[in-house]
Amino acid sequence: MQAKWGKSKSWTVLLSVLIILALVVSACGGSNNKGSSSSPSASASSSSPSSSPSASGEPEPSASESSAPAEKVTIEFWQRSFEETTNKWFKKYVDEFNKSQDQIQIKYTLVPGEAWDQKMKASQAAGKAPEVYTMNYGGIANAAKLGQILPLNDLMDPVKFDDIYDNVKEFITAGGKYYAYPKLVEPSAVLYYRKDLFQAAGLDPEKPPTTWAELLEDAKKLTGKGVFGFSTAQVAGDLGWSSWGLQFGTSGHEALTSDWSKADINNDAYKAVFKFYQDAYQSGVMPKQALAPYPDMKPYGEGKVAMQVNGSWAIGQLRNSYKDKLEKTGIAPMPSQSGDPASATATLGGWTLVVDGKAKHPHQAADFISYLLAGDPAIMIDFFKTSGFSKFSARKSVDEAMKSDPDASKDAWRALIAEKIIPNSKAEPIYPWDVSMAVSTGIESAMKGTSVDKAIEKAEKTINDFIANNKLAGTNPKQ
Amino acid sequence: MFKKNFRHDNLAAYAMLTPILLGSTIFIIVPFAYAIYISFYEWGFYQAPVFVGFKNFYVNLTDELFTKAIWTGLKFTLYVLPTQLVLGFLFANLVKGLKGKFASFVKAAIYIPTVIGLILAGVIFLFIYDYLGGLANYVVGWFGLEPIAWLAEVRTALPAITVPAIWTGFGITTLIMLAGLLDISESYYEAAEIEGAGTFGKMRHITLPLMRNIILFLLVTGFTAQISQFELPWVITNGGPVNETATPNFYILQHFLNDVLIGRSIAAALMFFVVLGAISLVIFKVLNSEKAVDG
Repeated sequence: MQAKWGKSKSWTVLLSVLIILALVVSACGGSNNKGSSSSPSASASSSSPSSSPSASGEPEPSASESSAPAEKVTIEFWQRSFEETTNKWFKKYVDEFNKSQDQIQIKYTLVPGEAWDQKMKASQAAGKAPEVYTMNYGGIANAAKLGQILPLNDLMDPVKFDDIYDNVKEFITAGGKYYAYPKLVEPSAVLYYRKDLFQAAGLDPEKPPTTWAELLEDAKKLTGKGVFGFSTAQVAGDLGWSSWGLQFGTSGHEALTSDWSKADINNDAYKAVFKFYQDAYQSGVMPKQALAPYPDMKPYGEGKVAMQVNGSWAIGQLRNSYKDKLEKTGIAPMPSQSGDPASATATLGGWTLVVDGKAKHPHQAADFISYLLAGDPAIMIDFFKTSGFSKFSARKSVDEAMKSDPDASKDAWRALIAEKIIPNSKAEPIYPWDVSMAVSTGIESAMKGTSVDKAIEKAEKTINDFIANNKLAGTNPKQ
Repeated sequence: MFKKNFRHDNLAAYAMLTPILLGSTIFIIVPFAYAIYISFYEWGFYQAPVFVGFKNFYVNLTDELFTKAIWTGLKFTLYVLPTQLVLGFLFANLVKGLKGKFASFVKAAIYIPTVIGLILAGVIFLFIYDYLGGLANYVVGWFGLEPIAWLAEVRTALPAITVPAIWTGFGITTLIMLAGLLDISESYYEAAEIEGAGTFGKMRHITLPLMRNIILFLLVTGFTAQISQFELPWVITNGGPVNETATPNFYILQHFLNDVLIGRSIAAALMFFVVLGAISLVIFKVLNSEKAVDG
């Protein structure tokens, strides 16, 4: 008798557990699908059997919230993590924006760079991508083509776009429409060198190298006593984008023909670029293993290299973290093959804000962008100031306003980059990253001992295979 | 009465099975079937999927980097697994001979790397292999040699990242081996000694045959774990230099993250699954699992 009792008791327990489980699962599913404005589903679940109070208890507060008359829209905003100062700037002005009005609430999320792709893919797969997020220039055309982001022409005041420099306007255009609003431009390659070490090696500290030959020669003289003469990107992932400037400047074209039908790298100019990296690496003036990733100024800041190529952002790092090196540092354009100062050696990278293609509140999302990037110049000037003038404005009005700013106007490095480097820099290519990666894998293999001809041939084949497999020919969105 | 009880039991059995069936349907069968379905499509998050037949598979098969990744995974396993098994076996024999507090101290100590985990081990070894400030090159410096670019040299990169893999897996291997060793009855060894068998003879004719199931287990689980290695190249080398350390899972994830259309990476995962399954099957066939002789 007792055993029977026990049995039926355990049965009840098992059954009730199953029922509760089923209720919880169905409650979760319901609230997921409907989003925030789901008062019918909430009432449905609260009218279901009262055996599980926890399941029916949850939806109630949200039901009362959504039925409130003042409709405050919450916009999810993801920012890729940049330098500390930039992250703080974003946070500060998101808060200001939220305080400045009561229609839109920005929900701000800072996403680490390494986690960005994964997090973004996961949220897209779940149909929960943020409505506003950061995107670099290189990604815009393709994202626009795939419908991942919305054109902003109808969402923002057209006057805001007239304020953007013409060459930058081109970066954000696809199919005749603007798909992003630019925040900044920054050249990907600037040569930083130690004036004191130049002097010690018998070189003129006011005469930085201008050709590759001079660069390698100087580097040789600077190498020794625990200091490497030269440092630049040396792994494929870094070379992929940091070598774009040299590729353009030397060959006058990108790695693909303009209709994207085949690779355009089996020529003397590209071979020269490969050879430059190979010589730099194999002559022993560079460390054999990267001391830090390309965008990190640490090796120079710690005194381990005498010349380092890095983006303009490194100025910020020097000014914030390596103050002792500031006095001894000179900066110059990255040398080119010929020494012609007009030859491109850098690309202009930079970041924009975009509105997701599936955004539920595109107008409100665009309003936030208008406020932050296209509004009061003081907001942007605050940004350029906190970054130590290591980044450059994409808007005329901001530069205009900066002229009257005492800090900005007397900054010599800012002037040199703005006058000598940015005008000669090219836009980042917009073809898929795989193409750049094929080229840079070729460069890396040439550095590690493959002959230049073989490396070029292999990269060419990889690119052409990629074009065939992905039907890339004729898909250039800019054409 | 009998009939009623019978039905009752049936119901109980189905009820007990339901959670497992539900779980495996939701988490294994449905995703797996869906993956197979997607692998025949050009499939993106923002576009309607397009049926492309076996194209994704074909593209992977003809991609040098895919076959290279499989080969890299096999090489990695070949470096790690035998080393781990031999070291584990030797160490387990050593620990078996230890007595008292010291024995438990050693057992705890060799298990520590397993607790640390691969990501942390990766970070630790990233520091060890640092070109100028790393421990490895410091030691190399004692012999008056030039620093070695452990992670940038095509020849050294893959072996370099096998070390943390061996280090972290070594403890659990040893403990499982030790459990197997302790299971072998002492009377076999006593009998063998009376018959005049030496240390080597005892090892060959008693220890190894009786450890067969343990070794089979370690081989199969170890093989799956090592060829699926992903954390170490991700943390330490990012697949470089020149894709030399891009393991199959690393390749698949890279494509999943970078490609706009992900059907291809799903296809690659399925192909990798086939390779993995086939080799595991071969291991099972070669090392026939048998019941232990003494029971």
